[in-house]
Amino acid sequence: MNDEVKFMDCVRFEKIVHDLERPGTEGFAFREDALAHAESCSHCAPLMTGAESLDAALRALAASNREQQAPPRVGTALIEKFRRQRAASSRRRVQRQIVALSAAAAILLALGFSLYRRTTSGPGVAPVTNVTEKISAPPVASPTVVPEASPVTAAAESLQQNQILASQSEDSAYATTFVPLPYADDPSALDDGAVVRVEMPRAALASFGLPVAAMESDGTVRADLIVSADGTPQAIRLVSQDNSSRSF
Amino acid sequence: MTQTTDLADALLLRRMARGDEDAFAEVYRQKHPAIYRFALHMTGNPAMAEDVTQEVFMALIRDPKRFDPARGTLGGFLFGVARNHLRKRWEQDRRLVAFDGDPDDLRENASVVGSFQRGASGNGAHGNGNGHGSFATATSWDEFTSVETIGRVRRAVATLPENYRVVVVLCELEELSYEEAASALRCPVGTVRSRLHRARAMLVEKLREAHSVGRASAVSE
Repeated sequence: MNDEVKFMDCVRFEKIVHDLERPGTEGFAFREDALAHAESCSHCAPLMTGAESLDAALRALAASNREQQAPPRVGTALIEKFRRQRAASSRRRVQRQIVALSAAAAILLALGFSLYRRTTSGPGVAPVTNVTEKISAPPVASPTVVPEASPVTAAAESLQQNQILASQSEDSAYATTFVPLPYADDPSALDDGAVVRVEMPRAALASFGLPVAAMESDGTVRADLIVSADGTPQAIRLVSQDNSSRSF
Repeated sequence: MTQTTDLADALLLRRMARGDEDAFAEVYRQKHPAIYRFALHMTGNPAMAEDVTQEVFMALIRDPKRFDPARGTLGGFLFGVARNHLRKRWEQDRRLVAFDGDPDDLRENASVVGSFQRGASGNGAHGNGNGHGSFATATSWDEFTSVETIGRVRRAVATLPENYRVVVVLCELEELSYEEAASALRCPVGTVRSRLHRARAMLVEKLREAHSVGRASAVSE
């Protein structure tokens, strides 16, 4: 505390007069100085009296209200609202848990299904590759029986669709769809006939009733024939390694 | 407000946030009288004080994490919420708005602050210019505690502008420190101090004049 702070004049007194009873304030710290000043100053004495009177009046007012509180119904209503809020929060928490569990279950199912698909489709890929290899390197000029795994229906249309899918799965070989030959007389052969791969002169395609006028007559083509039980070709499709042979 | 109290309040709130009904009941039991009194002093209307008390604790129920112990005490926080609710109410119902401007306009506004406040002197800081003066010469404690005097003080407080009234209620009637009041009102401590000084000067003046009127009427009778 320096001399400047210790010095009490009317200006300083007016500044702290309302804090004389308030602990922790400058007025409270210099209360004795302020009281001494008020006793000797006719200007500040009424200020001191007024402040003291106000303190007393406010204390009396505070004391008269000290026991006042909200009616019990306010507390009762709030407790009820607290319970409702807690129940709602609890419901929301349960809903969130259910959603989280559902999401986790869905993810697990998706993962499991994906793994299952990978496991079951893995061995199936190899034969396709093998078939492709077989198709890409068939014995030349000698009929080769290729086991035909894909079942075909009696209807040529469904047969064609299946064959399109089969041809799309092969990367190195291209095949057209099976086309029933004009003289085919055994539709059941389309279902259970043997598939024979042959390499034949292009001109020979005409003997199967296929239009070959627009094609070159020399050279050979590779083709799959569906042969009935009596050895009669029932349907044909062209197989080639290059794009130029994909069409009739 | 001690650190022990702050810690206890924080623990109670944590329990309350977890759904502990007893914790909420304890918080309400401890804090609601001050909030109710604050609202009552600020409005002079018991029904509104009830509503405000309920709204303050509903806000606490809805989001107990809104209270940040780093920013002040729980009591200060609740006073702040109560004041915000009061201001919203006053905006909704202009009839209940007490004076909130130039103290010289107090006389005109004193008539609209409600029946509880009617009869107040309604004067601003007239008189000796600095608002100081003796309104109770040769008074005794009995005189201060008389129903008449307490009513006079209550009315004088009720007719203060809102910014001044709130610091009187918090710092004088609810005995908050300047720091706690500043936290509740979200303003600097210096603002609280200066407003309280100004409010006290206005109160002294109002009570002095009311005292003079009371004496004059007693003499005339």
